[in-house]
Amino acid sequence: MIRRLLIANRGEIAVRLARACRELGVESVMVYSDADANAAHVAAGDRAVRIGPAPAVESYLHIAALIDAARSSGADAVHPGYGFLSENAGFARACADAGLIFVGPPADVIARMGSKIEARRIAMAAGVPVVPGETPSDQSDDGVLAAIETVGLPALVKASAGGGGRGMRQVHALAGALAAVQSARREAEAAFGDGTLYVERLIQQPYHVEVQICADTQGHVVHLFERECSVQRRHQKVIEESPSPHVTPELRRRMTSAAVRAARAAGYVNAGTFEFLVDLAGGVRDNAPFYFLEMNTRLQVEHPVTEQVTGVDLVRAQLLVASGERLPWTQGALTQRGHAIEARVYAEAPAQGFIPQAGTVLLYREPSSPGVRIDSGIREGDVVPVHYDALLAKVIATAGSRTQAIDRLLAALRSFPILGVHTNLPFLIRLLDSTAFRAGQMHTGYLDAEGAALAAEPNEPPPAFIRDALDAADHDLTPSAAGASAPAWDPWMRVRNWSVR
Amino acid sequence: MSNSPLVTRIGPGAYRVEIDGRAEIVHVTGAPGHRWVHWRGRVFERPFAADEPAVRRSTERHQSLSAPMPATVLKIVAPEGTQVRTGDTLLILEAMKMELPVRAPADAVVRAVRCREGELVQPGTTLVELE
Repeated sequence: MIRRLLIANRGEIAVRLARACRELGVESVMVYSDADANAAHVAAGDRAVRIGPAPAVESYLHIAALIDAARSSGADAVHPGYGFLSENAGFARACADAGLIFVGPPADVIARMGSKIEARRIAMAAGVPVVPGETPSDQSDDGVLAAIETVGLPALVKASAGGGGRGMRQVHALAGALAAVQSARREAEAAFGDGTLYVERLIQQPYHVEVQICADTQGHVVHLFERECSVQRRHQKVIEESPSPHVTPELRRRMTSAAVRAARAAGYVNAGTFEFLVDLAGGVRDNAPFYFLEMNTRLQVEHPVTEQVTGVDLVRAQLLVASGERLPWTQGALTQRGHAIEARVYAEAPAQGFIPQAGTVLLYREPSSPGVRIDSGIREGDVVPVHYDALLAKVIATAGSRTQAIDRLLAALRSFPILGVHTNLPFLIRLLDSTAFRAGQMHTGYLDAEGAALAAEPNEPPPAFIRDALDAADHDLTPSAAGASAPAWDPWMRVRNWSVR
Repeated sequence: MSNSPLVTRIGPGAYRVEIDGRAEIVHVTGAPGHRWVHWRGRVFERPFAADEPAVRRSTERHQSLSAPMPATVLKIVAPEGTQVRTGDTLLILEAMKMELPVRAPADAVVRAVRCREGELVQPGTTLVELE
């Protein structure tokens, strides 16, 4: 078993990993940059090692500095968390070369699944559907039209060389296909000097559903059901939940068995996630088409929703598997119970285009109630540095039904004061309480297309009694107040006054 | 002030405000010139649009008035010893190119003026003491 684990990360995930270590009796070693010397995660571990200056490339992305930290602290294993070096095959290899256990898949598996082309090939070979598409060898009008018929409608014709929407045409009926092909080719030639066209099936308003899998070195592979992550802003997930409101038991069986097949085909070890696009144009149903998107060869930000509905600790399983032990559960022992929803709390200003915010957190009070889990990496008085991702906390509500979980999460978010830096909490509250979210109708493009109204701060003045609280605060908070009396509720202040007399 | 809400401090920066028998929890923090307020998932930053300089409450018979934000003392209207009535202008501050009159919160006598014209005052600095 791993004895001492270097946590090559920061923030909430470093704190969360240290928690699993404590439960397993594994010592945790935190690393920190100069910007994080007093950060919450540093205090959450058993040891802490400075790895470099504030910029991530000189600290949390600096492979040599991390390996040195592992060596000097006597760690025998490294957990990369998510982001930073978590999907860097070179880091996994450097750990192995240094005789350290890398908590994740082997370096060659990371490299293989990190290549879009290679991952797509492995998925297809395992019989997992991918978004149908091809670059027709015959690039004449007739050749591209034939490819459209093969791929199926609706289709997207796009510049093989391009991106950014130029040289891109949607084809919804064969009647308009020829005009679309010709204008796409003209635009592709003009924009990229290359008129080669690629044709793929257009998934309109797709839903993002992913399957958590876990595999050990003895060849056991299990899935831990699905997560719904369609609520995204510019491809960044905002809300995640499990189970997905769009997945029927039969669709779940098809998707999870596809993920397990693909994991076996990839020779996968440790925790990983298969991301799929689900086409619900035909409605929520057993035979809804789904397509492999990509694989994440690491623990995900949203792993807590899976833990909440299955009752397992994924990090514990990761550490056991990395130590060469068997998976702690068989497929038959895993069940999905209740409903969990996670909201990501970021230091950002939704009303100003979601600009990340930095600064001192003057007041921070986590709510505490049954069924609410908070994974956080910030404390009152801490500084949110400008150098890194501004995720402050994840709030996860678990309840018997989706509606109850939404209400529970809303109640928790409304009683979660974070002051001093702007956060997306007011936005999250409006989002969760919206008709579209409650109805489960937010596809991956929803927020970018229609989220502006949710992002805007309502122009309502504060209620009148806010001023009364402010007056009281003026009285309590203002220093050197001539004649300011001690707050009557505080016995120590009373004692001081009394003793002075 | 017959229906004045009852405000109870329930912890650092946390207040229970009782209005017509219903309780609201409000959190307040920040410097006097830049307060942050949380109420039911909504966040407000002070100064609000129509704010005037803060009046500090006191249980004593005298009151002191402090600057709500970094400001320049433009003019002292009521020097020491002046008998003032509620709403009378005591002095005028200038901040962010706007004039902010500091008014008497009650009938009183100006006991001391703690600032000079042209002085840059910081949030929380006592400007005037009244009796």
